[in-house]
Amino acid sequence: MLHRDTIPLHESSQSDIDEIENLIRASVQSGPSTVPAARPPSPPRASIPISSSPYMLSGIPPPPKSSNQKSPLIAPPPILSPSNNAGGFGSPPNTLTEPVCDTVKRDLMRIVNNLKQVVFPNPFREDPGMALRDWDLWGPFFFIVFLGLVLSWSASVKKSDVFAVAFALLAAGAVILTLNVLLLGGRIIFFQSLSLLGYCLFPLDVGALICMLNYSNAMVKIIVVTITLIWSSWAAYPFMSAAVNPSRKALALYPLFLMYVSVGFLIIAIN
Amino acid sequence: MDLNQPVGENYANPKTCFFHVIFKAAALAFYILSALFIDNFVIIFVVTVLLAALDFWVVKNVSGRILVGLRWWNEINDLGESVWKFESLDQESLARMNKKDSWLFWWTLYLAAIAWIVLGIFSLIRLQADYLLVIGVCLTLSIANIVGFTKCRKDAKKQIQQFATQTIASRFTSSIQSAFTVV
Repeated sequence: MLHRDTIPLHESSQSDIDEIENLIRASVQSGPSTVPAARPPSPPRASIPISSSPYMLSGIPPPPKSSNQKSPLIAPPPILSPSNNAGGFGSPPNTLTEPVCDTVKRDLMRIVNNLKQVVFPNPFREDPGMALRDWDLWGPFFFIVFLGLVLSWSASVKKSDVFAVAFALLAAGAVILTLNVLLLGGRIIFFQSLSLLGYCLFPLDVGALICMLNYSNAMVKIIVVTITLIWSSWAAYPFMSAAVNPSRKALALYPLFLMYVSVGFLIIAIN
Repeated sequence: MDLNQPVGENYANPKTCFFHVIFKAAALAFYILSALFIDNFVIIFVVTVLLAALDFWVVKNVSGRILVGLRWWNEINDLGESVWKFESLDQESLARMNKKDSWLFWWTLYLAAIAWIVLGIFSLIRLQADYLLVIGVCLTLSIANIVGFTKCRKDAKKQIQQFATQTIASRFTSSIQSAFTVV
């Protein structure tokens, strides 16, 4: 005899309940944290471990003897305790009910991870197409604005124009480079490419900052900018070249180098 | 039933509604007022775009979830294709959402976009290219949110319909099943 079922279910009821559970599990829906469960499920159904565990965690007392009747259709969503982010039904993480701090943390970690992946020398960088799967535009936004600000600070006249030109150049440049690859028959995703080109500006940001702090010595500026330019190109190269046909590689990469070189000149020439 | 309640419901999430509105209003207000008082375009640009970006994030990640129970994002799957994902609460919770909250959500979204378009027309008339840049960025962010949430809402309705037909079908078959087994 099975000990786990204290209430003997009719065989068809168990299969009904199983079917409904499966349907709910298969859907992409979840419940809010403030809504109390309309009908918490009864504990005897230990044969469905995935859905019952969150119910157990939240400590809902089981209803008495409700499994015998045809249960009303809507099985209640689980009450997720604030720290429990895992999908209650074994589906991908349920982000609808997470607290705001978690969202903030998740996005910040994503920015940091993307930066590490793309820009920093990584001997395990195998598949460049997989870089920045988890794209986001916050990083590029900050880097472009930062570069514009640094250039604007370094300029002694027409600061607003310098900023506007730098921003427009970088933003439009990223969009045009992406379109270029797409038109060459390459396979990239628009936002992923924008994101990547934005993150690859990080070395140029560093270079511009150093140049701003050390603006008198032209030789130093040239060396620093050259190094950071090579670093930026090195970061962006694998992704762009992997996206197009080998015969078209140069056509895709030439505008990229052109853009970085022009930004480099802008940094050097600002005084 | 609480007879002392006013005729309409109150906002269920006043803090979220406040944040939803404040960043939009701050971006618009800063842009309009700064053109009168501040001479430095860089500051206007950076602050306005920053406020607009914060507003975009708050609407997408916080107030969308809490006020209307919708969420949208984009993922790249293993095959390297871009997939738009939509998430919504189930029908019960969606029906239970505060009407005033969702009214505020949608209307402020639309009104903010319209306000940016109007300001853009002014800039266009005055042929100020750099201010057009600011407006372009803010408008892009507003429209992205509008499109994302509208798609998400349609997707939620579709899923509810699908779910309803699926469960009706399964209940039907299971009741037939049980009818036959009892016999």
